[in-house]
Formats: sequence, structure tokens, C-alpha cells
Amino acid sequence: MAVESKQNIARDQQLVRAALLGENSAFGIIVEKYWNMVVALALSKVSDSTEAEDIAQESFLKAYSQLANLRDPSRLAGWLSKITMQQCSNSLRWAVRNKRALGCRTTSVEALDKQPAMAANPGLTQNQIQFVRQTVKQLPEKFRTMIVMRFVAGLSTVQIAEQLGKRPGTIRVRLHRACKLLRKDLAPLLEEVGS
Amino acid sequence: MKTCDKYKNLIEKYIEGTINNEHLAELTRHVDTCESCRMEFKRCVLLQDVVKQSFSSPVAAEQAGASIVARLSEEPNRRLKPVFHDTILSVRRQAAVAAVIILAVGLFLGFALGRAGTGKPIAELLATQVPINIGKLEGTVLVKHKDSDIWQTLQAGSNIYLGDTFHSTAKSTCVLKLDGKSTLELSQNSMLVLKLYNGETQFFLEHGECTASLNSPHGPFFISTPHGRVEALGTDFTVKVTDE
Repeated sequence: MAVESKQNIARDQQLVRAALLGENSAFGIIVEKYWNMVVALALSKVSDSTEAEDIAQESFLKAYSQLANLRDPSRLAGWLSKITMQQCSNSLRWAVRNKRALGCRTTSVEALDKQPAMAANPGLTQNQIQFVRQTVKQLPEKFRTMIVMRFVAGLSTVQIAEQLGKRPGTIRVRLHRACKLLRKDLAPLLEEVGS
Repeated sequence: MKTCDKYKNLIEKYIEGTINNEHLAELTRHVDTCESCRMEFKRCVLLQDVVKQSFSSPVAAEQAGASIVARLSEEPNRRLKPVFHDTILSVRRQAAVAAVIILAVGLFLGFALGRAGTGKPIAELLATQVPINIGKLEGTVLVKHKDSDIWQTLQAGSNIYLGDTFHSTAKSTCVLKLDGKSTLELSQNSMLVLKLYNGETQFFLEHGECTASLNSPHGPFFISTPHGRVEALGTDFTVKVTDE
């Protein structure tokens, strides 16, 4: 596991170095690698998938233009997660301003239930997906980040600790607390899906 | 039960993503036979799947990567911004140091001028020379300037400033020549301070003895002591301050 983590870090460092030398394809690989994590982080703050993807795109473009500012390429994932959260906050501020000016458009839960599940999520209905997202969104931000980095990006607690510059013990505790809260809040859904 | 504790730890490691293949295989074998651990493991796996599915992007990662690369190629203005960590840091540091210096000088000037309330030059405010000269000087007489802790030996011809404190040691005296022919003699083991009082130089005898010989006629002349203020009525008089 430690060897995998080191290889992963070395790979990130190579990709950052290549991108800094002007190889856009190297940055493309970075996007591929962390796309799901960045979208998921955005989805944990905003409700709309399209908006989350827009935020993800903008986050990557911002990361590209500021790549030279990345002092420690071994913490690429942690750096990307911070940029994404910042972009989300900017987007939410912008949305609040526009809601005041234009009025708010929302989609009812009933209407969502009738929508077919997205191709990428064959096992859950749209309503269930929204329920899971809402439940995760209600978690404190430090727990949300844990859940996304662990379950969506597939990083281990050791890797998350490296990325966020925290102690592995802290990350383990946060992850288990987040899981405990999620299991409690998602109990009916897990029962339904698991049966 | 002890065995199950071991597998519960392995389930925790599975959640943390730190379980190795060997332990995972062992855990899988165990959950086939243990109902309690099977349910626990199943719930964990299900939670992971449900979260992963709910947060998956419908846009494939490869497609997103290609799209971003295409956007970077289409937008030549979007370049990697060069960064000069050291230069920026040093410029910022220099700016910070300059700001601190300017602030300190500003505060000092503001404090000095505000305290004085006049447009007098700072040097003058800090040390105002008074028209007093050293006449006769015997033995060792020490002088200390205002706001200084250093005692210096008084020399004939030294400039005298407002705030100066004179201390005559044993068997030492000095004569201060005031305006005209007036003098003030400080006896041995005495301490005299020059203070400003109502815009005029005031002689404050802390302890010891001093003798004034004033020119006739003379204006009001006072010598202050810790016990009171003495006004000279004649031309020659002695003031003595003792502990009694």
C-alpha cells in the first residue's frame, strides 16, 4: 500500500513537471485522474450536476494557470480539492446574487423521481441519488472531503493525510465518524438497496 | 468473538483503504462463514458503492481530460502563469520592512511633535542648551543628561542642557556661572538638577548644599528642594538639604 502511494505521488510529480514544460497532454492525464474527485467535491456543495461539471472545468483551468504556484506536486490532489472548494464558494456567491436578481428555479423531488437514472449510475434512481447527495452535503465540510476523497477518488486514509497535510490518525477518525453519520442517515436507503 | 474482533479491524482497514490483498482474501473467506461479519462488511461495501455511484460524473474522465486539453489549445491566452517565488517573496519582504520603518519613523515624529506641541526641531526638544557655563571645578563632579543612565565626568567648558543632573562626589565642588556675574556653587556630596519650570530654568537641589551669589540687583531667583521652594532675597545665600 505504501509502495502504491509512493508510485502515485511520483506519477503526479512527473505529470506536473511535464505540464509545466508545456505538455498539455500531461495536464489532460491529470484531469482524467482527478476528474471524478473534483466533480464529486463540487457535487457535495452544489445540487446541480451540470453546475458541478462547470465548476470542475473551471477548477482545472484555474489549476492549469496556477500550476507554477504548486510548491509540492506530491500534494496535487489536496491542492486541487482546495481550488475546487474555492470555486464552489465563488459559484455559490454568484448564484445567490443572481437568485436575488432573477428568482430561483428549482426541481421538485417528485419530478426528479420520474427522471430516469443517469447512465453512470445504473443502480440508483435519480431520487435516491439526490437523497445520498443531500445527506453527504449535510455533513461538515471536513467529513465531506474525507468521504469524497476516500470513496470517489479511491485514496486511502494515508494518501488523504499526505494530500491534506494532516496526520493519518486524524483522517482515520474523521472518516469513521463520517461513515457512522452516513450509515445512520442513509439506513433506510441502504436497507432498500441492499435487500 | 475474539476472532471476529480481528475481522472487524480488517473491515475498518477496508473502509480506510489500507487493507492488503492477503488480508482482504482472509476477510472474504471469513465473511462467508460468519453471518455477523458478513452483514457488517456488506453494509460497508454498500455504503461505498452508493456514495460512489451518487457522486459519479456522467461525463467520462477521458472525455473531460480531452475537453480541457482542447480548451487549452483553443485559448492561447490561457497560459501557465510564470511564478517567481523568491523574487515575489523578497519584494514583499522588502515592502514589509519599508512599511515598518516608515510607520516607526511616523510614530516617533508624531509622538515627539505631539508631545512638545510646538514646531521646534527635535534635537532642540530633546536637549535644550541653557546659558550656564562651568566656572571653578574641583575634584570629580559627574553629570547625567536627561533620559540617559550614563554618568559622565563634568569638564570645564562642557555644554549644559536642561534636564542635566550634577553630582559632586566627596571633596569635589563646581561653580555654575549664571547670567551676568551670578554663580551657583555646588558643595561636595550634593546633587542638583536643572528643570524647566514656567518656561524658566529651575535649580532643584536633591540633596547636599549649594550657595548662590547673585548679581545686584537681581530678579526673582528660586532654588527648589524636596521640602519646598526657597526664594533668594539677598545676594548671597546657602541652601542645605539633609535627611533630617
